[in-house]
Amino acid sequence: MTAFDIVTSGFLISALRSATPLTFALVGETLTQRTGVINLGLEGQLLVGAMCAYAMTAAWGNPWLGLVAGAIAGMALSAVHAALVVGTRANQFASGLAVWMLGFGLSAYYGSSLVGRKIESFESIVPKSVADLPVLGSVIAGLTPTVVLAVLIVPVSALWLWRTRTGLRWRAVGESPEDARAAGANPSLIRIQAILLGGLLSGLGGAALSVDYTRTWAEGMSAGRGLVAVGLVIVARWNPWWTFPAALLFGGAEALSLRLQTADANVSAHLLHCLPYVASLAILTLTYVRGRVSSAPAGLRAVMDR
Amino acid sequence: MHLSLRHISKRFGATLANDDVSLDIPPGRVLALLGENGAGKSTLMKILYGMIRPDTGDVVIDGRPVRLPSPRAAMDLGIGMVFQRFSLIPALTVRENLALANPRTPWIVGSGARRVPGLLDRLRDIAPDVDPDARVSTLPVGQIQQVELAKVLNLETRLLILDEPSAVLSDAEAERLWSLVREIAARGIGVVLITHKLADVRACADDVAVMRRGKLVGRAEAADTDAPALLRMLVGDDTVATVSAEPVRRNALPRIWIRDVSADGPSGTIRDIDLRIAPGEVLGIAGVAGNGQDTLADACAGVTALRQGEVTVDGETLFAPRLEPRNHGRVAYLPEQPIRNAVGPDLSLAVNLSLRCLRSLPWMVDRKQMAKTAADLMERFDVRPPEPGRRAETLSGGNLQKLVAARELSGSPALVVACYPTMGLDVTASAAMYARLFAMAREGCAVLWISEDLDDLLRYAHRIAVLFRGRIAGVCDAGPASRTRIGAWMTGAEAFA
Repeated sequence: MTAFDIVTSGFLISALRSATPLTFALVGETLTQRTGVINLGLEGQLLVGAMCAYAMTAAWGNPWLGLVAGAIAGMALSAVHAALVVGTRANQFASGLAVWMLGFGLSAYYGSSLVGRKIESFESIVPKSVADLPVLGSVIAGLTPTVVLAVLIVPVSALWLWRTRTGLRWRAVGESPEDARAAGANPSLIRIQAILLGGLLSGLGGAALSVDYTRTWAEGMSAGRGLVAVGLVIVARWNPWWTFPAALLFGGAEALSLRLQTADANVSAHLLHCLPYVASLAILTLTYVRGRVSSAPAGLRAVMDR
Repeated sequence: MHLSLRHISKRFGATLANDDVSLDIPPGRVLALLGENGAGKSTLMKILYGMIRPDTGDVVIDGRPVRLPSPRAAMDLGIGMVFQRFSLIPALTVRENLALANPRTPWIVGSGARRVPGLLDRLRDIAPDVDPDARVSTLPVGQIQQVELAKVLNLETRLLILDEPSAVLSDAEAERLWSLVREIAARGIGVVLITHKLADVRACADDVAVMRRGKLVGRAEAADTDAPALLRMLVGDDTVATVSAEPVRRNALPRIWIRDVSADGPSGTIRDIDLRIAPGEVLGIAGVAGNGQDTLADACAGVTALRQGEVTVDGETLFAPRLEPRNHGRVAYLPEQPIRNAVGPDLSLAVNLSLRCLRSLPWMVDRKQMAKTAADLMERFDVRPPEPGRRAETLSGGNLQKLVAARELSGSPALVVACYPTMGLDVTASAAMYARLFAMAREGCAVLWISEDLDDLLRYAHRIAVLFRGRIAGVCDAGPASRTRIGAWMTGAEAFA
């Protein structure tokens, strides 16, 4: 199999589709962490988003409604983290874990009736005839709205973070809340906004996962993507531009593991399922070995050190 | 804008920080607010800046009492403050920092805030040589202060408060600041200069107000006062002890030999440093900030690993590359910025004071004993307030410096490395700090003293070595005659000729 075959045979599009839910969560967490808050509850927000989106789509038959519902659900759950961390100054790790477990439990409980239900989901955004184009035809034909949205959210969030006053304020709060306050920003408010935006995006990621990627609901279906996202934020160096390659790496590893299974590779399916996580772990280790992670927001160090 | 403080009182626990203070601040004049550490001048200005609410009293602007619930409110009224601890964000660029504080910044700021119109006008006026796209963390302290000033002036400030602005500056930087302050006042802006340096008053103040123990004890026109009169107002009837170092025996063997040392630190590199310090000798290190002083100090204290060479005490190696440090209490280190480099900010004073003997503490620590030892030390070194249970971060800069001195100088070190040991200290406390250093020297200690205050170095050190770009540009005996040579070395005029 040559590299050319890999691209044309649909590997690229399956990597892209697998990376889509992760990209949303990753961009959201990157923005949250830029203000100096870590949200480990991402996993729970993904699950709640996936469940609500799936339920909405199943009930109304409109996947767009599902995306909206998923985003709102993710944001609602992250409000718990915001209330605990900003409101009561609770430990961010403890609060994040609580949110994760809460999301897991809620989504499992309310999602139990959804198991096995079928939904109408997104069609490809391009007409069938395009699929016959040489080379990239199959890739373009596989594009669904969530994939396009994920690809768009990366530059939008990057431009927003680097080139707007709001982004500047967020970064300032992440570096030094006291100095940002002295400069007229409200650190508590900005952190709440950042946590909620992270929740919204991870809910959207969960929605993309259940409604578009797997097109099914299963308990715990996010399978650690939320935690992977927390790790990949470091790989992406808190830079929205780098979130996409980082997510693609995970997506590529997952696509590869699926491909190897169908190719009857003589390896346990359980081991193959580990591939994306091993790849993420490896790249995270490499990031640290290559040098100091100097682009970390200074405010995060205070969280990590406690 | 004519601003008056009327009958301001503020109490913190047992101390009356401000006791019925009334002060007039006219526009277009520079008022120097003098006072020792803890005299209440910072408290007064924080009240004016809306950071602290007074217990009683009013702030009156142009005859109208105003409320100052927050710094934001003060800023809106045109009151700006530059703190001793800078409030710029190190990881952001100069432009980004200015854009952050500027209320007229548009929503789209562009990459690195390069699209904000008019952002740099003030900075260009006062500091044309600052690179606006540099990260603040890479700027020397003098430039950081200029950016800080530009930031405050960008806010249409009509009253500018400067909290001990010259404390962190070299002589040349301070002179630049003084002329800046004059220019700012010439534009009709009122300036309050919180300071305890008489040089600041001489150089740029129109009026002087003196505070002592929370009270305003005197006010005069700067031209009408002389240094002795000010000093009397400052310290009351206490006399300032004069200190001097003892002569040193020159033929003595080196107590400390910094031998051919090279090292790389976060704030600079040093190369091929070779210095010998005799027992009882005070070796001053002069140089413009950022020429490797911090790295030299860190290397001699064993904080930064050496790349090459060794540091020996009485012929025994203390530090060398790939060698576990063997100082075991033989090096006392007073680093710069003690809050960052020398204390655990959220540990109690008692714990901070015992950090040095951490290895020899019993397994079960006797807290009462620890608190008692701490109380004794704090009494000896005049750390205020003397409460062993208080967290270190609540101390003022000067008292932190004294706390670190109490810990480091109370053992029996062979080498004392002191970086800017009197920074943030008032006249009396500075004299006490010098007296302590010289007492250490008298007991046979070698003292490596890093300072930017050439006057003090020339007056108190035995010899002075000048660092330039990480290398020793020259070493000479201290004395008034050496000044020009040292100046030339500092600026690199005859570097390595």
